[in-house]
Amino acid sequence: MKNRGSQQRLWKPVIIVFIIALLSYMIYYGSRRIENQDIHQPLAALFGTIYFLAIFFGPLYIFTTNYVQEFSLGKRILTASAIPFLWMTKDVIVSMGSHPFLECLYWYLNPLSVWMVCLLAIEMGLGTILGRFLLKRRGQPIKVVSVGPVLSILIGAIAFGGIYAWGQGENLFSLYLDGYRLLFGSGI
Amino acid sequence: MTSKSKIPAKAGSYNRRDALKILGVALASGLTTLVLSKLKKSQDDVINPVSPYQRISLGQNTQVYQRDFATKQIQSNGKSPNIIFILGDNHHFQTMGCAGHPFIQTPGIDQIAKEGIIFENTFSPTPLCSPSRATFLTGAYAHKHGVKNNHTPWTGQMTTFLEYLSLNGYATAFIGKWHMPGEGLPEMPFLDLFVSYTYREGQGAYFNCPMIVDGEEVPSRKPYITEEITDYAIEFIQANLAQDKESRPPFCIYLAHRPGHPPYQAPDEISGMYDDADVTQVLPDLVDPWWYGKANRNVFQGIMMGSYYNQYRKYCETLTAMDRDIVRILEMLDQEGLRENTIVIYMGDNGMQWGTHDCHGIREPYEESIRLPFIVSAPWLIPDPGTRRGQAALNIDIAPTLLEIAGVPIPRDMDGESLVPIFMNPDVEGRDSFLLEFWRYFPENTPSYKGIRTQQYKYVEFERGRKPWLFDLQEDPGEQANLYDTTEGKKILPELKSMMESY
Repeated sequence: MKNRGSQQRLWKPVIIVFIIALLSYMIYYGSRRIENQDIHQPLAALFGTIYFLAIFFGPLYIFTTNYVQEFSLGKRILTASAIPFLWMTKDVIVSMGSHPFLECLYWYLNPLSVWMVCLLAIEMGLGTILGRFLLKRRGQPIKVVSVGPVLSILIGAIAFGGIYAWGQGENLFSLYLDGYRLLFGSGI
Repeated sequence: MTSKSKIPAKAGSYNRRDALKILGVALASGLTTLVLSKLKKSQDDVINPVSPYQRISLGQNTQVYQRDFATKQIQSNGKSPNIIFILGDNHHFQTMGCAGHPFIQTPGIDQIAKEGIIFENTFSPTPLCSPSRATFLTGAYAHKHGVKNNHTPWTGQMTTFLEYLSLNGYATAFIGKWHMPGEGLPEMPFLDLFVSYTYREGQGAYFNCPMIVDGEEVPSRKPYITEEITDYAIEFIQANLAQDKESRPPFCIYLAHRPGHPPYQAPDEISGMYDDADVTQVLPDLVDPWWYGKANRNVFQGIMMGSYYNQYRKYCETLTAMDRDIVRILEMLDQEGLRENTIVIYMGDNGMQWGTHDCHGIREPYEESIRLPFIVSAPWLIPDPGTRRGQAALNIDIAPTLLEIAGVPIPRDMDGESLVPIFMNPDVEGRDSFLLEFWRYFPENTPSYKGIRTQQYKYVEFERGRKPWLFDLQEDPGEQANLYDTTEGKKILPELKSMMESY
C-alpha cells in the first residue's frame, strides 16, 4: 500500500502535465474546424501556447515537485523526461506512415530532441534549486545552490545556445542526416 | 574564367568525355547534311503543331530527335542565342507580382513576364529539391537520371544539357546551388565556370557562404548569397563580351539561387519590408501563428520556427532579395545590347505549400507543391509578349528546349519535349499527361508514391499509409473530394492506371 501511494505521488505531476498537454493539443487542433476566425484564431493562439508550455516547462514542474517529495534522482529524471519522451514518440509513430520502423527510431535523435534534452538539463538544475528553496522554506536545513545543479544549468544552456549559434541548428541537422545515410543509405 | 574547370578528371571520365566529343562531331556532321537537305525543303514551312519531331538514326545508340523545320527559325538572326536560366528554390507559383500576389515585389521577374510569357501550368513530376535539379540538367524523369531523393547521389549517368551545349561551342557556367548528394561537387570539366557550395548539405547559407570556384574553396566576396552568385554571372558575361565579337562563343549561364529555402534571411535593406503585410489574405484560414507545428503534428517544432505568419513574410523577403539581383542581370543585358539575342528563363525547382491541405513545404503531390513558376523571354521567338500559355510544361522540358534553341540535336534519352513550338505559337497543343513519382525522403513524412496527372485528373498511389488519391481537377481544382472509392472514380480508374503504367 505504501509503495502504491509512493508510485501515485511520483507519477501524479506527470499525469497532470500530460492531461494539460493532451487537452490543449485537442483544442488547438480542433479549433481549425471553427470557421469563424474571430473564435478560431484566439483559441489556437491560447491552446497552442499552453501545449507548448506543457511540453517545454512541464518537466520543470515535475522535477521540482518530485524533488520536494524527496524522490531519488533517478526517479526524478525518469518522470521529468516522460512528457518529452511521449512527445518524441508521437512523432516516431507519425513517421511510421512513411518510413520503416528502424528508421523511425532514428527520429528520436533529431535536433529538436537534442534541444529538448539540453532544455531538460537546464530544467533539472533549476528544479533542484527550486525544490531546495521550497524545502528550506519549510524549515529543512539545506543548501539551496550547489555545484551540481549549477553545472547542469550551465552545460544545458551552453549546449542549447551553442547549437542555435552554430547555424541555427542547421549544422546539427546536417550531421543528423549524415548519420542517417551512414546507417540507412538513401533509404530506398 | 575562360579556362575550363580545374577539377581533375578521374581516369574513366576522360574516356566518356572523349566519346561524347566524337559523338558530337558525328552528330554534327550527320546532322549538317540532314538539316541542310531539310532546309531546302522547309524554309517556308509552318511548324507542324501536333508532331513536330522525327526520329533520326545516326547509327547504333546515336538516335536523336530533330525538329522538322529550319533551325534558323528558332535562332536569333541565325546566331546561336545566349541563354540565362535562373532557378529559384521552393517558389510558390503565385508568389510573384506578375502572378497577382497582393504584396510581394518582384519587378525583375515581372519584367521577364512583360517581355515574354508566363506558363501557367508548369510542374515538377518529383517535387523534391535534388531530383528536380537533376531533372532540369538532364531532361529526364527521376527514375531515369537516378537522383530519387535528397539522399541519392548524383552519378552523372546522364549527360547534362550544359555538356551538350559546351560540346557545341557554348561557353557554359553553372553558378549557385547544386544541392545534389555525393562526395562534394561532381567533376564537370566541360564547364567554363563552376561556382557552387557544399556547405550544410549543399543548401549553403544566406550570409557569407563559402564558395567553391572551379574546385577551389574561396570565401564569399559579398555577404548576401544572391549578390555573390549574381556577381559571378555578370563577370562571366563581361569576360565573354571582352572577346573578339566575331569569334566569341554564345554563353549559357545556369544560375541557381537559394532564396525560397528556410531558414529565411533577407539582407538588411529588404528585411522587414513586409512586416505590415496582411498575410491572412494569402494564407488559408486554418493557418494560425503556431501553424507550422500543427501541420507537422507538433507545436514544439512550430515554435522553433517562430510565428508562421512571420515565416511567410520572411520567405517573401528572400524572394524579393533574389529578384533584386535578377534586375541587375536584366539591366546588364540591356546595357550591353544583349536582350534581343538572349533567352532568359525564370523557374522554381519545386512549388511550396503554405498551409493548403494542412501541409507545409514540398513533397506532397498536391498542386501547390508540384506547380512551378515558369517565365521566359526570348524576343525573337515569342510573337505575343506579355501573354500566358496554358499548355502543361514540365521541368523535364527545359533541357530539350534549350538544346533546340541552341540548334543542338535533342538526345533520345531525354524524356522532355522542347517547348519551342509553344513559345512560337500559343495554339500549339501541349502534352495530355505526365508521370508523378516520389521516393520517401527521411525525415519528411511523405510516403513514396507514383501517379499520373492529366488535364482533368490526378491519380496517385502511395507505397504505405494512405489510400490512393483520385481528383477531378476540373470539377475540384482545390483537390478536396477524393473520388477513389466512388462510382465515377471506379469508371475512370482503369484508364488512368494504364496511362500511369505506360511511363
